[in-house]
Amino acid sequence: MAVIAPAEAHRPVHDHLKLNRAGLWLFFFSESVLFGLLLTARFYLEGIQREELDQLLGLGITIVLLLSSVTAFTAETAIEHDNRKLANWGLIATIALGVLFAAGVGYEWSIAHFHRDEAFGTLFFTMTGIHASHVISGIGILVLVWVQLLRGRYTSRDHWPIAGAVMYWHFVDVVWVFFYPALYLVN
Amino acid sequence: MAPKLRQIQRTGEQAHKEALTYFHLDTFHDRMRTAAAAEWGVAARSLSLAGQGAQLLHVRHLITAGLLWVVLTAVGELLVVADLYPTVGSHEAQDFDDIFRFLLLLGVPVMTFVFAVLIYAGLQFRIRTAVPTEDGPAMRGQGWFPRAWLAVTGGLAIFVMIYPGLTGLAELQQGDKGASGWGDQEAEVTIKATAFKWQWLFEYPDGTQVSVAAGKELVLPNETSIKFEVNAADVVHSLWIPAFRMKIDAMPGRTTYMTVKPNKLGEFASDQAYRVQCTELCGLDHATMMFPVRVVEPQEFESWLASLNEGGN
Amino acid sequence: MHALKSVAGAAGLGMIGFYLGLGFVAVLRAMLGYPDAWGGEINIVGGYVFGLVGWLMGIGMWGIWIREWFGLKTYQRRAPGWQRYFTFNTDHKVIGIQYLVTFIVVFLLAGLLALGMRLELASSGMQFISHSQYNGAMGLHGILMIAVAVAAVIGGAGNYAVPLMIGADDMAFPRLNALTFWLIPPVAVALLATPFLGGIETGWTAYPPLSTTTNSSQILFDLAIITFGLTSILGGLNFIITIIFMRAPGMTWGRLPIFVWSMFVTSWLAIFFTQGFAVALLMILLDRVAGMAFFSAEAGGDPLLYQHVFWFYSHPAVYIMVLPGFGLALEVISHFSRKPLFAYRYAVGAFLGILGLSGVVWAHHMFTSGMPNYLHGPFLVATELISIPTGLIFLSALGTIWMGKLWLQTPMLFAMAVIFNFACGGVTGIFLADVPTDIHLHDTYFVVAHFHYTIVGGEIFALFAGIYYWFPKMTGRMYNETLAKLHFWWMFIGFNLTFFTMHLPGVKGMNRRVADFPESLDNLNMLVSISGWLLGLSFLVFMYNMINAWIRGPVAEANPWRARTLEWQTTSPPPHENFPEQPVIKGHPYDYGVPGSVHGVFPNSGLAGAPSGSAGGGGQ
Ligand code: HEA
Ligand code: HEA
Ligand code: CUA
Ligand SMILES: [Cu+2]
Repeated sequence: MAVIAPAEAHRPVHDHLKLNRAGLWLFFFSESVLFGLLLTARFYLEGIQREELDQLLGLGITIVLLLSSVTAFTAETAIEHDNRKLANWGLIATIALGVLFAAGVGYEWSIAHFHRDEAFGTLFFTMTGIHASHVISGIGILVLVWVQLLRGRYTSRDHWPIAGAVMYWHFVDVVWVFFYPALYLVN
Repeated sequence: MAPKLRQIQRTGEQAHKEALTYFHLDTFHDRMRTAAAAEWGVAARSLSLAGQGAQLLHVRHLITAGLLWVVLTAVGELLVVADLYPTVGSHEAQDFDDIFRFLLLLGVPVMTFVFAVLIYAGLQFRIRTAVPTEDGPAMRGQGWFPRAWLAVTGGLAIFVMIYPGLTGLAELQQGDKGASGWGDQEAEVTIKATAFKWQWLFEYPDGTQVSVAAGKELVLPNETSIKFEVNAADVVHSLWIPAFRMKIDAMPGRTTYMTVKPNKLGEFASDQAYRVQCTELCGLDHATMMFPVRVVEPQEFESWLASLNEGGN
Repeated sequence: MHALKSVAGAAGLGMIGFYLGLGFVAVLRAMLGYPDAWGGEINIVGGYVFGLVGWLMGIGMWGIWIREWFGLKTYQRRAPGWQRYFTFNTDHKVIGIQYLVTFIVVFLLAGLLALGMRLELASSGMQFISHSQYNGAMGLHGILMIAVAVAAVIGGAGNYAVPLMIGADDMAFPRLNALTFWLIPPVAVALLATPFLGGIETGWTAYPPLSTTTNSSQILFDLAIITFGLTSILGGLNFIITIIFMRAPGMTWGRLPIFVWSMFVTSWLAIFFTQGFAVALLMILLDRVAGMAFFSAEAGGDPLLYQHVFWFYSHPAVYIMVLPGFGLALEVISHFSRKPLFAYRYAVGAFLGILGLSGVVWAHHMFTSGMPNYLHGPFLVATELISIPTGLIFLSALGTIWMGKLWLQTPMLFAMAVIFNFACGGVTGIFLADVPTDIHLHDTYFVVAHFHYTIVGGEIFALFAGIYYWFPKMTGRMYNETLAKLHFWWMFIGFNLTFFTMHLPGVKGMNRRVADFPESLDNLNMLVSISGWLLGLSFLVFMYNMINAWIRGPVAEANPWRARTLEWQTTSPPPHENFPEQPVIKGHPYDYGVPGSVHGVFPNSGLAGAPSGSAGGGGQ
């Protein structure tokens, strides 16, 4: 019964990394179509109109998310230099900032004066909702990775899970860079 | 070279060796060539288009296959003269039939070209041995032929794109480019059509309405341009009158239109092409979302309208 | 019984997950103060998601994959013999066969539905089934067949053959590959459950507002198809990475077998466009379960938005269906004509051209939708341009056959039929792309005839070419050639009778998706129905031949077709790691008739010294 998957076992490690990395990029490529279509739908239905939103909050969570990309980057470079301690703090900060961002979105939802059964509301809740679901899954992945880091699993030569999770985090961040102006700034 | 029966559980090694027999195809080809040469007393390579005889052979193939193409095309073009269409009930219908025939005229030779090559090759180039004993000539298709093919098909595609495609489109979409519909936006009679699950409500310019409850028949004046302004009350429907060859969807939230000019008297009772048919799947009774049409002379149309109004509608 | 244990256990977990999900959502709703905590469609969504997770964990993802994320040791259930087809097996050959068999069964079921529909359509008036049953059968037939068309060749033939043909030992991500297959059974279950929730009322296209207001089966449709889209995307991703990074040494892009090229291009289509289907259905889902207003015109939404997003996927989807079919047909045609593939570069260029153009033609399905008039022209132009690259496929096929040594075995017959049928399907596409003709033809049986000619005539025939072609490789046994030829001719004649005739009622005024029609069309419909049944019965021959041959057919040679590509240079069936050693590619796969040419060699094997070029016909 208990045998480790053999098909992948005999391939060299670096080869494997390359495949993973390219695969993840392709996944982002595909996901950007999802987000791109949502953006298109947003402009298709509402043109460049938008409802009043809490600008300060919007700007705040955007900064939070951008910052979290910096901390994520820090964590990755740290583990590349076998600096587990810094990697640890980098991940913790990223997770915390991510939670803060999600909470910010949640707060924005609760104070929104429009409803989801009108066009802008539909678009706003869908776009932020789908993005937030990516943030939350990203947080989940980071937590899993962080636990493994604490157990000392990663080294400078073998830390694909951290690298992959951080790549994913950057991607989610970049998506927000497009969503934020489309939802908060145009007009 | 009949398939030998062997144990299915062979060692990888052994089967691998077998596979290699064919893998080095030069060996294989060589053996095939010698076999063929022995059998027919010819060098198999003579077929490789290099020799004079092969050239002649090739020309003969081309001519016979070409003849087959001509014959098939002649048969196929019968479709162009065949009566495939419902009653021509409007000027638009006449245009449609002409364009359709024209596309058939062009499309049939394209199809029959493919058919002719396939059929001819299937009959003439097939091998009669149980397994192949020689290879065909190594034609790679890098010369003028692919370019010519590209030019011909490209030319054809661009041709039909412009005529009857874009020219026909220009005729159908006059005026406002942002509007949604076919034909002139001005017409002598404008009828408002509202689609709902699963029937129609038509309203004439004077306010007269017909529906399954009232009138039960859409009466239209002949040789008069009629504009339908189409709305949907619930889901997407589509207004189609086969005798007119025109259709436009009824979209919730926007008004679409189509203008037609009937050119022939007719009615549903005797000709089922005279019907308004919903052609966009709209749920349970989509199939029965149908309304009879009658085209009458303009004077009769006026009196019909008047009588309908007197009738207390 | 490993097989039974693994599937039954997973199904059990799936059920538990389903009810957990139902309950979880109900509790959430109760906490948020909704009056009817249990009744919403959102409960079904929750149940489906939890059920899906339960099923996947149960079938083996937990053991072989997810445990890793928690730093635990992974393990894999091993099952002997046929039972491995019922486990989370990561061998691409097993997965390919899993796909093929599953989708053949789905194909037969959906075909049976079509035969039921043809029974009702044999004459006007309502005879056997009600309007609602007809609509349900029609929608289910449509979506199941679309699924077959999207996944059977890609998932079946692609998974089986691509790693072999490029000389790899497996796909790049074997576990992901297994996942894409094991996502299919829940999709099938959800779709087959729709009749019990009222039936799919919207056809396969699911236009709103009908689909946002119809019965609850729509929710299962959405969930199933979103999942199905996910498998397409993940599968495409896997193929792209495999083909880019795992080709054998010497397998340059110019030496790639044409089927692999077609899979490569198709995979790009799949990962890029499939999101459109997912987004379109997600919007419907949100309109339904979350009260959103994407498609409600009163609230500022727009039903046309759906059509744009939907066709943004679903037009490229037709090329997702047909390109692997073209690749497969060209592949077979070259080997069975014993000639190099004619104009190989043009064929590759054609695939790339179609890849480029297919994203800008979608609105040709919406010519009568009431979209603004300025959109018609550009989409007409783009649509007709696409016939130019498609024509190059024909150039390649016909050029290869010309002067060849045609070995008319069953795979070749099917491959030639692909070209034959698609000529008709493609040319009728031109009639539809021309707006002036499409106004009348849209949503009539002319369209139905067009797409059966392209999908069935093009792709399904190619699927059968592939099945017969690789059957000896997959099973190690040979089918009965006489029965196979009987199946071919029967199917070919039945198909053309059915669907050629079907154009006529279309032009004459029969709209699609109706259970009833004016009696003036009776004769034509009777003819179509009879031929449809004729066509259907041909598959009995196929089924008998396949089952019989798999159980007791004669043992197949390693290379019964004397073909040159790599998958034939190993045993039938191949060993787990595909090749005894890494093959090295020395030449083009289709160089028939070129003295001294080789495609690939096994450098270390005693038998396989690479012949030097000068050896000419000498070989080793
Ligand atoms: C495998 C599937 C497949 C393929 C490959 C195609 C290929 C094409 N299709 Fe088709 N189509 C469908 C499946 C497919 N289609 C389906 C499923 C629908 C209906 C969906 C629904 O509503 O449910 C549909 C509907 C559909 C419509 C909408 C009809 C309507 O609802 O009103 C249109 C309109 O333009 C169209 C056009 C075309 C064209 C131009 C091609 C071209 O790609 C064809 C190109 C090929 C050739 C032209 C032949 C070969 C070329 C030569 C031999 C060269 C010389 C030829 C010329 C220069 C003309 N198709
Ligand atoms: C791969 C795609 C595919 C295939 C293969 C087929 C195959 C067939 N299709 Fe279909 N069809 C579609 C894709 C396909 N179709 C789509 C996408 C639609 C549009 C739906 C929509 O509008 O939403 C459609 C719609 C459609 C309609 C229009 C319905 C309507 O608009 O009202 C019709 C009508 O005749 C039809 C007929 C047939 C027939 C007779 C076959 C025949 O080829 C079937 C042959 C028969 C079999 C394969 C059955 C054989 C089985 C046995 C012999 C027994 C097996 C036993 C067991 C399983 C135990 N199809
Ligand atoms: Cu109304 Cu169909
Ligand atoms: Cu299309």
